[in-house]
Amino acid sequence: MSAAHHDHADAGGLPHSHKKAYIRLGVLLTVVTAIELGLPFLKAYPDIWMPFEPVWAPLLVALSVFKFGAVVGEFMHLRGDRRIFQFLFLSPLAIAVIIFLLLGALTVSLFLPFGEGIAVTAIDVKAGYVRPTKSSGAEPPLAEDKFKAAFADAKAKNFEAGKAAYDKVCKACHGDKGEGKAALGFNLTDDCYKYGGTFKDLYVTVADGRAGNKMPAQAGALKSEEIRQVVYYIRSLKGTNVPGGQPCVGDKVAD
Amino acid sequence: MSAQLAATDPHEVADAAGHDHGDHGHHAVVENNFMGLPNIKLAMWAFLGSECMFFGSLIGTYFFYHGKALAGPLPQDVFSIGITSISTFLLLMSSLTMALAVDAMKQRNPATARNFLVITALLGATFVGFQVYEFSHFVHLGLKLSTSLFGSTFYVMTGFHGGHVTVGVIWLSMLALLIHKGKLNPAKLPINVEVAGLYWHFVDIVWIVIFTFVYLLEFIQ
Repeated sequence: MSAAHHDHADAGGLPHSHKKAYIRLGVLLTVVTAIELGLPFLKAYPDIWMPFEPVWAPLLVALSVFKFGAVVGEFMHLRGDRRIFQFLFLSPLAIAVIIFLLLGALTVSLFLPFGEGIAVTAIDVKAGYVRPTKSSGAEPPLAEDKFKAAFADAKAKNFEAGKAAYDKVCKACHGDKGEGKAALGFNLTDDCYKYGGTFKDLYVTVADGRAGNKMPAQAGALKSEEIRQVVYYIRSLKGTNVPGGQPCVGDKVAD
Repeated sequence: MSAQLAATDPHEVADAAGHDHGDHGHHAVVENNFMGLPNIKLAMWAFLGSECMFFGSLIGTYFFYHGKALAGPLPQDVFSIGITSISTFLLLMSSLTMALAVDAMKQRNPATARNFLVITALLGATFVGFQVYEFSHFVHLGLKLSTSLFGSTFYVMTGFHGGHVTVGVIWLSMLALLIHKGKLNPAKLPINVEVAGLYWHFVDIVWIVIFTFVYLLEFIQ
């Protein structure tokens, strides 16, 4: 029986309440979370954002680690608890972190080869393991190149499918190139959007239509895959400013 | 500490039970192992250790395939920081109310503990509600489990987390109900609430990691 233990319990044999400490920690965690949430919005202020750009991501990770440690150590009372509990939790946690870092390192080595000549072949990837090999022109294409090719291929196919869907349902009102038609469809090639220009906004506009004007819901005419493709296609028209387009309607959208 | 060698003194046993100083005089009904530790708490820590590796793999896999989706909307197209922040905040606060429930129970105050358990369960249920809304919204935007690597890894990871929260909500609700009806052995109540609390806090820390690494970092880069 330690002396500290006697100090800890009050006369009635009940343990000392941690209520106040818990509430203080709750307030601290709220403040930390508010800081985390503020960071993405800080990006809108380049004067503050840019000089410290390399700092933000590590700062977020550090704040997250702090919250993790605070909840485990204080709320779960692992700090100061028996060694066996700490061992049972912390050793698998270490394994989990190692798995996480290895997967991260693997991603980097697969798709962003660094150094010279060390790279992984597509065959290695297919076989399910990663083996560093000396790369030269004669060897099979690198996983990175294969991936880039597949990505470019998918992008081109999505673009073609988006254009096809546009020609099928949008062209009649928004024109061949998205220039718009008076009293029928808005200009899609300027940077003005009546109902918002993000992926989400445009998807909802196309799928559900917009009440109060002539834009009909296209969810029946297009599959969700096609709506997605046509939205990417419409986003690609932004800023092309086709001559003879309809005037700007709605708010200008920056990016 | 050498509690296992002299576990005949009730104070010693209570101390060994993970500094659970509230078990004086009631230690005999909690099943302790040869080390003088409550089996149920030992089992929970071992389980949570395995859960670390489980979620570590799911989150690692999400990152392994990040940026490699060939179809469908991308994370930045569908994520909404505003809505997710609200649910994140609610889950964080539920960890505080859970800690207060455990604390109240150690003070032998079952009514207060029950109330905090109910609040915790309600906060958790609201989190699950937000996730159901988020998932259905993403599906509406054309992101399904089979759409892309992003869809598969995202839904499996966050879905397993949501499942854990749901299990926790059911657990805490049952515990609150049984305390209310007085159907649990009063001597076992502190350890039962504490172990439920360990599970609940764990679910919260998994979300702390997912929210930072999956949602926030997406908007930082």
